[in-house]
Amino acid sequence: MADLSALPGGKSPWQSAARFGLYTLLLIFAAYYILPLIVVLSTSLKDLDEIRNGTLLSLPTEINFDAWGYAWNEACIGVSCTGLKPYFWNSVAMTIPAVLISTLLGALTGYSLTKFKFKGANLIFAMILFGCFIPFQVVLLPMAQSLGYLRIANTVPGLVLVHIVYGLPFTVLFFRNYYVNIPDDLIKAATIDGAGFFMIFWRIMLPLSPPIIVVTIIWQFTQIWNDFLFGASFTTGGGQPVTVALNNLVNTTTGVKRYNVDMAAALITAAPTLVVYVLAGRYFVRGLTAGSVKG
Amino acid sequence: MASLSIQNVKKSYGAIEVLKGIDLDLEDGEFLVLLGPSGCGKSTLLNMIAGLDTITDGEILIDQNVVNDVHPKDRDIAMVFQSYALYPNMSVARNIGFGLEMRKVTKEDREKRVDEAARMLQIDHLSDRKPAQLSGGQRQRVAMGRALVRDPEIFLFDEPLSNLDAKLRVEMRTEIKKLHQRLGTTMVYVTHDQIEAMTLASRIAILREGEVQQFASPQEVYEKPANMYVAGFVGSPPMNFVPAAVVSEDGKLGVSIERTANGNRSSVFLALPDDRQDIGDWVGRDVILGIRPETLTHRSDAEISLNKGLQAFDCQVEVLEPTGADTLTYIELGGREVIARVNPYNTTAPGETMAFMVDMGKASLFDPKTELRI
Repeated sequence: MADLSALPGGKSPWQSAARFGLYTLLLIFAAYYILPLIVVLSTSLKDLDEIRNGTLLSLPTEINFDAWGYAWNEACIGVSCTGLKPYFWNSVAMTIPAVLISTLLGALTGYSLTKFKFKGANLIFAMILFGCFIPFQVVLLPMAQSLGYLRIANTVPGLVLVHIVYGLPFTVLFFRNYYVNIPDDLIKAATIDGAGFFMIFWRIMLPLSPPIIVVTIIWQFTQIWNDFLFGASFTTGGGQPVTVALNNLVNTTTGVKRYNVDMAAALITAAPTLVVYVLAGRYFVRGLTAGSVKG
Repeated sequence: MASLSIQNVKKSYGAIEVLKGIDLDLEDGEFLVLLGPSGCGKSTLLNMIAGLDTITDGEILIDQNVVNDVHPKDRDIAMVFQSYALYPNMSVARNIGFGLEMRKVTKEDREKRVDEAARMLQIDHLSDRKPAQLSGGQRQRVAMGRALVRDPEIFLFDEPLSNLDAKLRVEMRTEIKKLHQRLGTTMVYVTHDQIEAMTLASRIAILREGEVQQFASPQEVYEKPANMYVAGFVGSPPMNFVPAAVVSEDGKLGVSIERTANGNRSSVFLALPDDRQDIGDWVGRDVILGIRPETLTHRSDAEISLNKGLQAFDCQVEVLEPTGADTLTYIELGGREVIARVNPYNTTAPGETMAFMVDMGKASLFDPKTELRI
């Protein structure tokens, strides 16, 4: 892309002033957005005395990870004082299979909706798409009933099922719109070459899909990891995901309110999604705009 | 190698009839070109031969076996696509070998055959590249290699050269021709380019709106077009169509055409050769005279004495377009613009009257109503 600022005639004092104003504004907004994170982070590193005596914005005098350890291992959630650890692993056990299965099913559905078109494929896609607009709350009761019938209520596999079902419309949407831009001639050529439905999927479609797979995984991971409503509705006690446990940890008061533990617990809960964004964020943007420019 | 027979094949999409009963018979080793403008159904027909599209009615036979319900992979055909359809994630060698891999050919055998095909197409040095790293011409060769390596009964080409630049297109055309001569395999080739059709085909089928207009050798299509559509589609510059009346003069049948010469508007009589004297029914009626530009040129008495079909007349020149080898000379005959191919050294300035001769032995006559050849 051409560097627009390097074009001739772009160095007048007015333009420099405008540029200065622009960056000032951007810095103010950046500070405004980063401030809560800084407060949370610095509070989690202080001890209780320092929190009580200092101000909200003051930085910790010494770095102290005690609150993190306490949140992870010892904090009381309801009546059991186990820390976030078991719930964190619940979330991992819920999120990873739910993300992988919903992504795979979305890819497969998107593939058959675009490359093995059947009568009414577009109608079915429209109906699946409709699923994206159904609010969480609407499916709570029927979902609770289904989980009961299937005897997986209050279990991690139950939550996995809920998230797969609720995530499918989104993953299908992503993959369908990605695959619709892959030329049909590829499928025809592979068919003549002797490859069948699944062979074409594994050998040709999936190898072309990494950008959209990354987008879908980030999307699904964030949605499922951050979910609170399904977790709170369908699980109690030991089966809860970390988001619900965090809420209970903060609400469980035994004597003094430990702000540093609350903050550390919030950061532990948010860490996996942050890590996913940092590692794969650039693919996210790339994948969302893939196909808009000819490669 | 195999024969191919297409019997009364029809294709409809809902109420729209795309192919209206196609009949074509190909001998073993022939090169059939399906020629027509976009939307005439030629690619649909090719897809049906490949098995990528279902047949609404009729039968397609490969080597006397009806293949209507045979899966594409079992028809022993290979296809080259307009977009090349190379698998972007595979190297050139994997692309070429994919069909063999799917057919469970052993690795050693596969490598040998891929190597052979790549060498035949002079792309053996590109084996490890991905399609994105290749030029258009190289991609085209890989696509052909993928078809070649399978050693199929029939090759199908779907406008394979239309994405190449002009120079490369001519080169690849010759390559395909050489390939056909070397392999002797039956080939079906779809194109809208009449020059490709003429140069490659052993027989051309010209399609229009789902119907075969003519199915004949390139020479016959060129010299004896079945109707005005074919006559206008094949040849560049196209055949001239001149409104004329069939008349009898001095006991010979011929056509009478209006034109301007030496500032006067008058009719000229052009006698038909002896073998075209069978159109007595048409005397007094209007016809369309079809003249190829190269059969209309400057008058040469020496040639006229040798060829009885040559008829001379005068006409005023309107415009000259030099092309180097010939000068395209525009004249007006029967109220229509007509192009003559004249040697650059025999031209006359625009506005002047020039002596022409036309080879009536090579002229075509068409019925103005049905547009069919008489």
